[in-house]
This record gives sequence, C-alpha cells and structure tokens, in this order.
Amino acid sequence: MTAIEVNGLRKSHRGFEAVKGVSFEVGEGQIFALLGRNGAGKTTTIEVLAGFQRADGGTVRVLGLDPYADRTALRRRTGIMLQEAGFFPDLTVAQTVDTWRGLIAAPRPRDEALELAGLAGKRGTKVRQLSGGEKRRLDLALALLGRPDVLFLDEPTTGMDPEARRATWGVVRDLAGQGTTILLTTHYLEEAQRLASTMAIMDAGEVVAAGDMAETLAAQAGRVAFRMPAHVHPADLPLPVTLEGGTAVCRAEDPDLAAQTLLTWAAERGLRLAGLEVRTATLEDLFLESAR
Amino acid sequence: MNPTFLEGAPMSLIATFRLGTRLFWRDKAVLLGTVVTPVGLAVGMPLLLNVVESASLATSVFQSALSLLLAITAFMSVTVALTAQRDQLLLKRLRTTGLTDGQILFGQIVSTATQTVAMIVLSTVAVRVLAGVPLPDDPLGFAAIVIAGSVVMALLGAAYTAAVPRAELASAYTMPVFLVAGVSAGAMGPIPLPDWLEPVLDLLPTTAVVNAVRTGDLAVAALILAGWTVAGLVAIRLWFRWEPRRS
Repeated sequence: MTAIEVNGLRKSHRGFEAVKGVSFEVGEGQIFALLGRNGAGKTTTIEVLAGFQRADGGTVRVLGLDPYADRTALRRRTGIMLQEAGFFPDLTVAQTVDTWRGLIAAPRPRDEALELAGLAGKRGTKVRQLSGGEKRRLDLALALLGRPDVLFLDEPTTGMDPEARRATWGVVRDLAGQGTTILLTTHYLEEAQRLASTMAIMDAGEVVAAGDMAETLAAQAGRVAFRMPAHVHPADLPLPVTLEGGTAVCRAEDPDLAAQTLLTWAAERGLRLAGLEVRTATLEDLFLESAR
Repeated sequence: MNPTFLEGAPMSLIATFRLGTRLFWRDKAVLLGTVVTPVGLAVGMPLLLNVVESASLATSVFQSALSLLLAITAFMSVTVALTAQRDQLLLKRLRTTGLTDGQILFGQIVSTATQTVAMIVLSTVAVRVLAGVPLPDDPLGFAAIVIAGSVVMALLGAAYTAAVPRAELASAYTMPVFLVAGVSAGAMGPIPLPDWLEPVLDLLPTTAVVNAVRTGDLAVAALILAGWTVAGLVAIRLWFRWEPRRS
C-alpha cells in the first residue's frame, strides 16, 4: 500500500524552479530518506507534501489525499517536524506540550510524548532555556502527539548530541515498526543509511538517484584503500587505482576480490599494503557521486 | 480561509482562544502598550477634564477615547501579536495541527476582541466612579456595538499584518491608524478638519462606534461595521501571510 505518491512534482519560487519534475513513492510503514545538498529542493518538496505550498505541476498524494486541497483532513493524520518553526519561548516544555494537546484530536498523554522524545526531565524548563538539540526533541514530541500515520521529519537530529541522536533513531524505527510511514531529510548520511529502507537523492531540484537502500548500495562500486608502497607506481598495480594524497584507492564492484588480488600481488613482491581498508559502497559514496 | 473554517472543532476554537489570551497576559511589553496606555488615556483624560471643566465634557472625551481603546487594544494588539507569531514561525507551527487556518485566526481575533471589551468595560466603570461619567443609557446597545467594534477592529488588525514587513515594525505601522482613529473621533481634542473629510472619517469603524455610543443610533454603525467586516475578510483571504517573506 502506497502512503506517499509524488509524480512529476514542480514548484517554483519567484521564477526560480526549486523542484523540477520529482517523482517517488513511499510505502506504508517505510522509512524514506530524501537526501541532497542545501538548496537541492528537499524542504520545498516536504512543504508541498505537508500542504504548506501548492504544487505548480505534477500530482502529489499523501494517504490518497491532495495535501493542499485536503490539508485540514490530512493534518489530523500527519505529524510534521519542520526544519524551522518557532516555539512560545516563555512557556515551559510541559506547558508547550499541553498547549499543543489542546489543538489536536485524541493526543498522546503529555508524559508519553516527552518520554518518547527524551525530554521527561525537562518538563519544567522554559523553552527559551533549551539547547538547540533539546528544541529539536520538543519539536519531535509535538510531531508525535497526534499519533500520526505519516510523519515528516525535516533534519530531525540536527543539533542533537550522539546519545540523543541514537535515541531518536530508536523512536523512528519503533514508529515505523508500528506502521507509521516516515519521510525524513537529513545531512547525516549515516543516519539515513541506518534508518531508511528506501531513498532518493535530489540535486538542483531533480532526483538523481533513487530506490531501495540496500539494493542501490549493493549496485555501487566498493572501495579498497591502502598507503601506496614506496617506489611503486600506480601503473605497476594489477588493478587501476587513483591516488588521494599518499593513499591508493581502488573502486571495484567486488571489493573483497579486489583486495585479494592486490594482497596476492604485494605478497609476491614482498611488499606490505599498510592501512588496508576494504568496504562496500556507503550512502556517502553514492551521495558524493550523485549530487555533484 | 477555506470552507471548513469552523469544521467540528469548538474545542479547538477554545484552545486557540485560550492560547491567544494566555500569551497576551504573559507579555509585559504588550500589556504596557495595549492595556496600561490606552486604559490610562481613556480614564485619565475624563478624570482630568471632570476636575478642570465638567462631567459633560468628561463624558464626551471618554466616548471619543473609545476609539483609542479600539485602535490600540484591538487593532494594534492583534497586529503586533500576529506579526510576531508569523515571523517566529509560530503560525506555521500552528498550521501543522489539525486546526484550519480560519480557526487559528478566529481564535486570535476573538481573544483580542475579548480583551478589548474587558478594557472598555473596566474603563466605563472607572470613569463612572472616578469622573462622574454616567453609565450608558442603553447598556445592551452599548455592549453590542462595543463587541462588534472590537471584533471588527481585531479582524482588520489581522488583515493589516500583510502590510507589515517585519514584526519589529508592527507598532510603528499601526501608529497612523491610532492617530487617524483618535483624530476622527475627537479624542485628540478639537482639531479643525476640511468639511469634505469629516463624512469620510465618519465611515471609519472606530468613528462609527463612537457615534453610535453618543447618539444611540446603532443601525448606521452596524452597516459601516458590516462593510469593514467584508473588507477585512477579503483582505485576509487575498493577502494574509502565514510565514515571513523569504527575502
């Protein structure tokens, strides 16, 4: 069952085309990562999906509804953690959540939302006294209050410390496990790789790579890196490499086989491949390759 | 505002009303500017005139001062509150809830109008006790026109936010409205105006309320306020901004 359908989405701001015919789908209960550099069009896409902006072209459906035309009905079923949105600075964390509970049908209990977001110990703290990461967690608590079917998370862990980030990952995974569809943007590619099962990379308003996370990464070249032995020229090696400083980098579909070939070659010559590192493609490799 | 403006959410309306009221009474700067100052003027001027002149002049000045209360406590207050909430992206956050756009604005407008009515009632009682200004002959008519005037001025203040580029300019941008409202209703003293201008100023919502309180004729004021209501709703529909300008 598809929860989010985007087909040929176009959106311009004052003559600048921020999103140029983007298409993707997110299944129910999936975690989908929408990635790209700053200005790639991710936030504009989320704002259209959340009904803040009307699409200029293409079709967008969230839970079968048009997010702009049906935004009131849809917002009762979605949670949104905006990249930027204010709080009432003089209210405490508890007062903020209570205020929001009054605006939402059948909200979670306040303490449950604060526990989920890891803010239970900050109930009595004024919002103006929270750190940037704590404000993101409060943002998350508010987004989760309505037990949404679809959750939009725009850079959810920015400013969080590593512990809070990992706790947030746990919350996101649990929600997806309970059937919540999650669309997230992030600049932390490790976060996207760990959380998302599907992804799209945007660049200059277009999707430049998309698909199942594991399959897409498996199709990418892996990497074997080692410090180049003294007096050896790259052309002497059995496989093509590029030099990054003093490090030789060999890209190969099967990095294990490439490493074996290189080690055999080195052993025959009594050489040592110091600092040898073998790994399959990461999302960062794919991102840097795609979003040039 | 969309057609589902009041769709099934009296609780949400109460929540937005309570939110607006809570924020209003927590902000000391707002309280000083939109409660202490106008109530001080509306009570202080009649009090002074009662001492140096007469109760009838004090009554006339108090009636004129209603225009200041409407301009400051309703119009300026809602403009300042909504532009601040817009620029701090609080309106955007409110839109992530299940509230309709209409409910968000309506809750704020009703909240502001309620503060205004409360200030006018307080001032009316204060000038009765302190300055000998008689209570209105027709309390129900007085209440009706004051409530209607407060709601219309809060509505117009919400619409006016579209003209205010940034929250810090909101007070400065509403100052001309305050001055025109005060001059047109005679709250700034006898200022000579061209003959052609007076009938035009009589069409202002603040002047309409003051004239209705003076004469007891509610019909003309009701028509004028209805016209401004339509203008305010159309302006909100066309130009209201929920977020600050991107550049």
